Amino acid sequence: MQGTEFDELAFFAAVQTSGVRALLIGRRALVVLGLPVLTADYDFWIHIDDIERFNSAAAPFGLAPTRSVAEARGRGRYVLENDEHVDVLVARAVPTIDGQSVSFADVWGRRQPVALAEGVSVQLPAIADLILTKRFAPRPKDLEDIRLLEILQQEGDTP
Amino acid sequence: MSPGGDARARAIAASERRLTPEEVEAYLATPVSASEREEVLALVRWFRRRFSTGGERLAYVRRAYRRWTVGAQ
Repeated sequence: MQGTEFDELAFFAAVQTSGVRALLIGRRALVVLGLPVLTADYDFWIHIDDIERFNSAAAPFGLAPTRSVAEARGRGRYVLENDEHVDVLVARAVPTIDGQSVSFADVWGRRQPVALAEGVSVQLPAIADLILTKRFAPRPKDLEDIRLLEILQQEGDTP
Repeated sequence: MSPGGDARARAIAASERRLTPEEVEAYLATPVSASEREEVLALVRWFRRRFSTGGERLAYVRRAYRRWTVGAQ
């Protein structure tokens, strides 16, 4: 399947229908919140026990996993790809650059569902948690994103 | 105008570089100015007004990214 033919909304609907505990993170989460930033990839953080179901939800879109489920669990991440690229974090917890451990269970517990369209929603981390995910392995663009998110957070902003 | 292929590659490489804890703290220690804050909030207001749902915002960015990459070729 070509990326230009990728039905983004149908993909999010499939993830929702699958019941996978999946959080949209990365720049596409910022976009949903109302920050117009460019990005090529999709980034999800999912529960480590939901890899098979997530892969099944993605399969009709031609997205194939780069690693076996066992390898993904061992490494804590994998990729689903065709000419789309979906980074999937599956670790139970990830340290920030300053050593703070961020657990999926905690972030999932504070998640916020956001409507994408009629009948389709996505789960986002709370803004404070999204900022923490930007500190896992920060690059310059992540720092720019942290500043943008902090401005939204200080406004008490919700999507 | 979209950047040329080399410029685009350099921009991506620079933005993907892993930072040290010291670089992170130095960058984030710089306070957000009132003008920067207002500029960001104005942009957010425009984006939300122009694209009222999350799905529309995602679709817009997808189109914008495609234009950017096609223009760079």
